[in-house]
Amino acid sequence: MFASDIAILLPEIVLSVFAMAGLIAAVYTSKDGMAPALVWLTAALLALMGIYIGLTGEGSQVAFDGMFINDGFARFAKVVILLSAAAILLIGKDFMQRDDLLRFEYPMLIVLATVGMMVMVSSGNLMTLYMGLELQSLSLYVVAAMRRDSVRSTEAGLKYFVLGALSSGILLYGASLTYGFAGTADFAGIVAAVEGGASLGLIFGLAFMVAGLAFKVSAAPFHMWTPDVYEGSPTPVTAFFATAPKMAAMGLLARLAHDAFGSVVSDWQQIIALLAVLSMFLGAIAAIGQTDIKRLMAYSSISHMGFALMGLAAGTEQGVSAMLIYMAIYVTMNVGTFAFILSMQKDGRHVTNISSLNAFSTKEPIKAAAILILMFSLAGVPPMVGFFGKYAVLLAAVDAGLNLVAILGVVASVIGAFYYLRIVYFMYFGEEREGIDGKMSPLAYAGLMAAAAIMLLGVFNLFGVDSLAEAAAATLVR
Amino acid sequence: MGLGGTLLLLIAVMPFAGALLPGLMIRAGRNVCAISTAVPTFLALTMLVVLAPSVMQGDVVQAQIEWLPQLGLSASFFLDGLGLLFAGMILGVGLLITLYARFYLSGEDPMGQFYTYLLLFQGAMLGIVLSDNILLLLIFWELTSLSSFLLIGFWKHLPEGRQGARMALAVTGAGGLAMIGGMLILGNIVGSYNLTDILAAGDQIRASEWYLPALILILLGAFTKSAQFPFHFWLPHAMAAPTPVSAYLHSATMVKAGVFLLARMWPALAGTDAWFYIVSTTGLVTMVLGALIALFKDDLKALLAFSTVSHLGLLTMLLGFGTQAAAVAAVFHVINHLTFKAALFMTAGIVDHETHTRDIKRLGGLRHLMPITFLIGTAAALSMAGIPLFNGFLSKELMLEEASHTDWFGSAYAVPVMATIGALLSVAYSLRFISHVFLGPVRDDYPHKPHDPPFGMWAAPALLVAMVVIIGVAPFLAEGIVTAAANAVTGADLHPHLKIWHGFTPALWMSVIAVAGGIVLLLLHKPLDKLWIAAPRPEAKAIFDRLIAGLVSASRAITEIGHNGAISRYLAIFTASSVALGWVAYSSGGLSAPTRELLPVSPVIFVGWVMLIVATLSVVTMHHHRFRALVLIGIIGLSISAGFAYLSAPDLALTQISVETVTIMLLLLALHFMPKITPKESSAGLKLRDGVIALGAGGGVAALAYAFLLRDIETISDYHLANSYEGGGGTNVVNVILVDFRGYDTFGEIIVLGIAGLVIYAVMHALLDGPAARRLKNTDYSHDRSRDRHPMMMVVATRVMMPIAIVVGAYIFLRGHNQPGGGFVAGLVIAIALLMQYMASGFAWTQERQRMEYHTMIGLGVVIAGLTGVGSWLFGRPFLTSDFTYIHLPPIEEFEVATAMLFDLGVFLTVLGGVMLMLYSLSRIARFAGETVNVDPMDYDPADRITDEEER
Repeated sequence: MFASDIAILLPEIVLSVFAMAGLIAAVYTSKDGMAPALVWLTAALLALMGIYIGLTGEGSQVAFDGMFINDGFARFAKVVILLSAAAILLIGKDFMQRDDLLRFEYPMLIVLATVGMMVMVSSGNLMTLYMGLELQSLSLYVVAAMRRDSVRSTEAGLKYFVLGALSSGILLYGASLTYGFAGTADFAGIVAAVEGGASLGLIFGLAFMVAGLAFKVSAAPFHMWTPDVYEGSPTPVTAFFATAPKMAAMGLLARLAHDAFGSVVSDWQQIIALLAVLSMFLGAIAAIGQTDIKRLMAYSSISHMGFALMGLAAGTEQGVSAMLIYMAIYVTMNVGTFAFILSMQKDGRHVTNISSLNAFSTKEPIKAAAILILMFSLAGVPPMVGFFGKYAVLLAAVDAGLNLVAILGVVASVIGAFYYLRIVYFMYFGEEREGIDGKMSPLAYAGLMAAAAIMLLGVFNLFGVDSLAEAAAATLVR
Repeated sequence: MGLGGTLLLLIAVMPFAGALLPGLMIRAGRNVCAISTAVPTFLALTMLVVLAPSVMQGDVVQAQIEWLPQLGLSASFFLDGLGLLFAGMILGVGLLITLYARFYLSGEDPMGQFYTYLLLFQGAMLGIVLSDNILLLLIFWELTSLSSFLLIGFWKHLPEGRQGARMALAVTGAGGLAMIGGMLILGNIVGSYNLTDILAAGDQIRASEWYLPALILILLGAFTKSAQFPFHFWLPHAMAAPTPVSAYLHSATMVKAGVFLLARMWPALAGTDAWFYIVSTTGLVTMVLGALIALFKDDLKALLAFSTVSHLGLLTMLLGFGTQAAAVAAVFHVINHLTFKAALFMTAGIVDHETHTRDIKRLGGLRHLMPITFLIGTAAALSMAGIPLFNGFLSKELMLEEASHTDWFGSAYAVPVMATIGALLSVAYSLRFISHVFLGPVRDDYPHKPHDPPFGMWAAPALLVAMVVIIGVAPFLAEGIVTAAANAVTGADLHPHLKIWHGFTPALWMSVIAVAGGIVLLLLHKPLDKLWIAAPRPEAKAIFDRLIAGLVSASRAITEIGHNGAISRYLAIFTASSVALGWVAYSSGGLSAPTRELLPVSPVIFVGWVMLIVATLSVVTMHHHRFRALVLIGIIGLSISAGFAYLSAPDLALTQISVETVTIMLLLLALHFMPKITPKESSAGLKLRDGVIALGAGGGVAALAYAFLLRDIETISDYHLANSYEGGGGTNVVNVILVDFRGYDTFGEIIVLGIAGLVIYAVMHALLDGPAARRLKNTDYSHDRSRDRHPMMMVVATRVMMPIAIVVGAYIFLRGHNQPGGGFVAGLVIAIALLMQYMASGFAWTQERQRMEYHTMIGLGVVIAGLTGVGSWLFGRPFLTSDFTYIHLPPIEEFEVATAMLFDLGVFLTVLGGVMLMLYSLSRIARFAGETVNVDPMDYDPADRITDEEER
């Protein structure tokens, strides 16, 4: 029993042990001198684990009496999380090195955060949920404040921490209400307790847990931390924030909604739909006025989370599948976009102002074309792959009868398209001024090109993500 | 899928496949490049011709490939009359444009790139007209926006080119995105995303309650693409593109996509009042407005652009009428407009190319210098004006005929009058094009001396004008394709007869009025032009820019309100949102009636409650004085502890009291290094806001608690109450839970506590190396130092209390399993005893008497607890299984020895070590700040004083 439990948790255990061993090894040897090697090793291990999880694991396995679930849904989310974390580590390596930020703790904290995320998407119990969430959050608080000599970065870390603590408090309040009224913290038990209508106490518990998790996915109106933290953190950390943790929090929300409250869809559908609409609009409108590309990406991610939430709000298997497709595409796009943002610099200094992209296409036509593809994809303009994500969630919403939400989503995407196009406009038609240098580290270049290629070539069959997501969703929604 | 299907697929794929060629072939020369562009177009056109006969007879060719079936997407194509018409236009004009562009573009222009974009665009356009899946159609739809963006922006060095490209993309792209929603709803209503299914389900769609939203969203897409009012402004601005692009995209193909969509969706959407009023009114307004503006434009291409807008409005209006005859007229006019407008654009391009200007005011008299161009331009413009024997006349007659018997909101005259005005204006600007460019005297101030271009350049427009005349004279030649297309649009079996002479119909008179009025208008052009320039009129581009600026400032306002960087505001939003969510939850579920009575409130409790409230309010108002705030917090903590004791939770009370004491003591020590008063940061208004939010949140939680307390709830306490004695051997449930049921948790917790102590120590260590250390060094704390820092009374009292406190601690530890107490509380009690020593006699003095390192204590605690857990493995039990027995020691009484007690010992040691290590860290700051280290237990030792007196 114990041995089989351990076997199910093997990837998490391996990564945790690796993180601790890495920390100890670095402390007793060359400390930060070891960091570049550690980044490579970590990325390789994360990718390896991602591949391992993707290729192994049959059906739904349950460990520790239902505390930990390893099903198709969890595996899908984990693969996205692990691969994106590995990619972000690699594309950000040169940035961190150049800015003298590459401490040996950085890759280890990323690993710990990743383990937290893996636990989140696999949780089958309120306690596992909280443990994973906090492991992730605590690691992220630290990496947000990684640039300790910068007021911005430390402020970002502090803000994130204070608000994060508040959200954790609300989540815990909700969890304790749920536990108190359901009499169990197991999702399986909760779903049995709410069968045939949840009591008011459970609905309160659900609402507050959703509020806490909405903070983690940065859904409006719990999104306030996002722009500040995105702007203040070192860019590789921002890139990380924009990718893996979002997938994890979405996965967790989906798991909670369906595994624990799957029998009372109507009770959470409205709340999530409301969050979705608010996020889509706030993200779309607020991004228009931004001149800093990191802040812009923050609002963009808020808006994107709104779309993913719309898939979830459908409350159907199709909705979960659409959400997974959306997130997988979203994460890929962001890896590519951030690979570029990481390398935006002029005379050796980082710039994040959008106007510095002026006339970039004349200088670097190939890179500009790649950004063009990514921006159109982010805007959801066909035929880029981003459209299919958006389309999938809209379809799920319409099929679930949420026509109004879908229409609002379309309107938001129209507004949102504006600021992505603005970037393209600056790049292609901006006045020729002193712009960025356009030099990129080989890793970042590879990241940008790979993401752009995926956005273009994925048109043919989405690389099969849709059927994988469908299979994954089928294991969650019963 | 038969041969036809295969051919159809090949047609659709051909431009995309060929798009690579020009880019590669450009090295081989411009001619090869142009030919490599023409080859795929020509091949596709040939295949289309092969398919044409059967389609003309009413057959529909279909082809389908599964694409993303999960998403309802399939790569399916079909070719019917309408598709054939448009596909033929796209490919035919494409071929002509390829030829024209070869001569138009100069040597410096990157021709390979241009042709690649052109083929991409052509492919996208073909995709729109051939798609059988509305989602596929959508994809191609947006692809045309994208490729046109690249084509319009082709001449990057022109600032208008940039602006135009951006505006075109913003407007048409956004419209396309809006259409996604409409298409989704349509598919949802019908249950299929196949166009053929949707077209067959018109009644079902029109009856659906979601018909109107779907209609509006789809129309948004169509109207933006076809530059209908109020989205008409982007088209003229896109005219900065090279002329071949304008001719191809902005007259022949792309802008017709909107019209095509209206025609395509006609069977599914047309026939309702909503359709009629929205579509035909928009078309009518656009037609008149576009024609009016065109009349006063001096830029040749701008004139043509607005005339295109006007004609697109005409087409839209016709489709909006929703009658079969109007559909026939629309289809016919699509062909006619294509021929004359493309020819006109090319003519304008030739004029621009030869004279280096497009300003009508600087032109005139070109008739003598460019006779061929004059001939072509005049024929095309006369057709545009709707003069008999040119094809424009025929379709305009049909249009006026339809307009003449259309009721609009009960008015029989509105539409005919407006339509006539539109036609009149159309005549005026067409004639202006001829007279102001070609007629008149030859000037000697052309920017460049013009002459007729090479054959290659005028061949394409000449061919088009030939068609203009042929159809104009022998309209029956076009009957076949018009019939096929019109049947495809209406889904009916029509047999229209196109002829020049219909007799003296109202349409004819309207035409006569239009021509006569147009000539008058042209003669009056000069004074009217002055009037036009003087008249205030809304400039669409300015409105667009202002709209964007407004959006940007709205967005800035949102960010400034919501994200000004102040965390207090974030917290306010967060809390308010949570309260709102709580309200949503409350209003969604039914609250059952209360099942419990309120307990009577005793006076003591009431006083305690009032005290608590007063203390809490006082903290809020007095928190600027840190010391006072700390005292008040202590009061609150103690009141709560008392509350626990009163509500039969002695364990909690005990723990709470010890924790309160320890934290207040540590905070007191820490306070020493901080300013006494915090700065005021909020204004009165903010305080009010925060107060309201705080009251809302607090009140909400209180109400929730109150509601739950009044109802019987099944809790898990019963389980623990029932099992704690049998399972864990203790009657103190809390302690049994801590050390037995949830031993794992506790084990984790003590580790965390230990780590926290170590982290504080480590952080302090790092801190004392940084800038904080410098600040500490420079601060003078001597002024607030007491004269008697280690008073004798306190020293003596704490010495006396220490053994008592330790005995209490031991007692609490031992009775823990059955009575309130336990390792955690015991650790805190002993920590308090030690803390008091530190406070009384100073850190150094006490530290000297400390025999055990705190680090060691923490480590030992964790190890003991861990070993206890491991111990159970020896007996083949899971980690942390406890066992117990009872021991009777005569002097005391019977007490229980459980393995849990060993575990508790670990807890005890860790708690003690952790707390003391934190104290140690604080004292390090103190010493760093220049605090002297005392070696004596007290400042004034009475013993010393006696010696002093003796000496005296």
